[in-house]
Amino acid sequence: MITRQLSFSALIFLFIYTIQESFINQVRLPGGGFSIFLIFALVWSALSTPEVGAVTGFSAGFLIDLSPSSSGPVGQWTLILILTCFGIAFLGFGDDKSRGNPITIVFLVVAGVFLAEVSFLITGVLLGVNLGSFTQILIILFGMSIWTLLITPFTLPVFSRLHALTFDTASRI
Amino acid sequence: MRYGGGNRSRLLLIILIVSSLFLITLDLRGVQVLDGLRTGSQTVLSPFQRAGNTVASPFKNFFSEITHLGRTRKQLEQLRAENYNLRTKLINRENADAQLKQYKSMLDLAGTGDYKILSAKAISQGSSQSFSQTLTIDVGSNSGIRRNMTVICESGLAGVVKEVYPNSALILLASDPSFRIGVRIAGTQQIGILSGQGSRKAVLQLIDNQTTLRVGDVLLARGSQRNRPFVPGVPVGTVIAVDNSAGAVAQSASVKFYTNFSALGVVAVVVGAPKMDPRDALVPVKPRPTPLPTITVLVTPSPSPSPTK
Repeated sequence: MITRQLSFSALIFLFIYTIQESFINQVRLPGGGFSIFLIFALVWSALSTPEVGAVTGFSAGFLIDLSPSSSGPVGQWTLILILTCFGIAFLGFGDDKSRGNPITIVFLVVAGVFLAEVSFLITGVLLGVNLGSFTQILIILFGMSIWTLLITPFTLPVFSRLHALTFDTASRI
Repeated sequence: MRYGGGNRSRLLLIILIVSSLFLITLDLRGVQVLDGLRTGSQTVLSPFQRAGNTVASPFKNFFSEITHLGRTRKQLEQLRAENYNLRTKLINRENADAQLKQYKSMLDLAGTGDYKILSAKAISQGSSQSFSQTLTIDVGSNSGIRRNMTVICESGLAGVVKEVYPNSALILLASDPSFRIGVRIAGTQQIGILSGQGSRKAVLQLIDNQTTLRVGDVLLARGSQRNRPFVPGVPVGTVIAVDNSAGAVAQSASVKFYTNFSALGVVAVVVGAPKMDPRDALVPVKPRPTPLPTITVLVTPSPSPSPTK
């Protein structure tokens, strides 16, 4: 059972990662655009248990770290996403009202993206990564949050179905 | 009921956090395995990036073009008159023409500077989520590309080769916040250091505090030892504002890059440096205002008005 879940999850993760790296990154959107892979990882965590959330964060972060366009050291995104995904899964778990409510999940994901980017900035500063002008950082931070707010409602049903299919859960959004 | 967390959950979280800290430590210590993993992922991804580039090419610059709507209004009006099929063909044709124009300008630049270049097509742009500015091109070590080679485009400096893979290479764009280049001012030959700021603007810090900067001064690459990472003479940008703070140790200025980084379709990697420093030979010619034609009308009055019947 767990082998099926793991292999199915890995396939979905790699597929969405490829879409992000080969297609979404090509389109230059104003305000920094969005990361479908980050949205996916956070939605997946929001629908999962905290343990699965942490593992999701580890896998997603490691894949982002492997991206050649990633500026920080390998492990930086991994660390950030472990904590963010665990936090989101922890907030949603056990509370059926928030888990079953798509609006709550959308706002959790937006907050997660914002927090992950801010954490990347802070850890980047600590690790000596150059991050650019303050204005540009603000544009990307708020731009990505707004894009995430716009994109997540459309992707949530698809990701929710994939999650249900993988973990055989009856409830779907 | 809220999740209270258990020992197993806490242990898993700690293991994962320690693993990520271990990865960071390994990477900061320069362990080759992690570089190999990134190289491997780029090698696997590059065919997908090429395919994605082909699919996205008709509309990938759509949003950046919107900001230049005034300039392209006439073109848009012409396109509006066409039907859907013709419009698609026209967009593809325009794409090819723009690339051709870029290639021609790039060859002119390389010819004047006596640079030996290898042209390349951009296949992927780096994600903004890491606040970095990168570009992936479709040539790599199999074509003779090495790390720290200068990358130019039609209007001047584009960046430098950061990583090389067998069939692709990662370019660190000049707009990246970590990008630094030694520049000199055309004419006065004063030198300074230019730093990317994450946008088309950069900051110039002069080394000599006796120098006077002026708006409109042209900056050229000063060149590096053995021409790596920078060959000399490549146009970089122009000064748009000078900071005249009284307390500053050295004068600084805002610079606008010649290169429009959001519209880079084709670039050229300088694989051979010029034998002689081209000095100021590559300073872009300032556009001259077009003189208005003067129309002179000569009227010769008739000798005497003739009576009308």
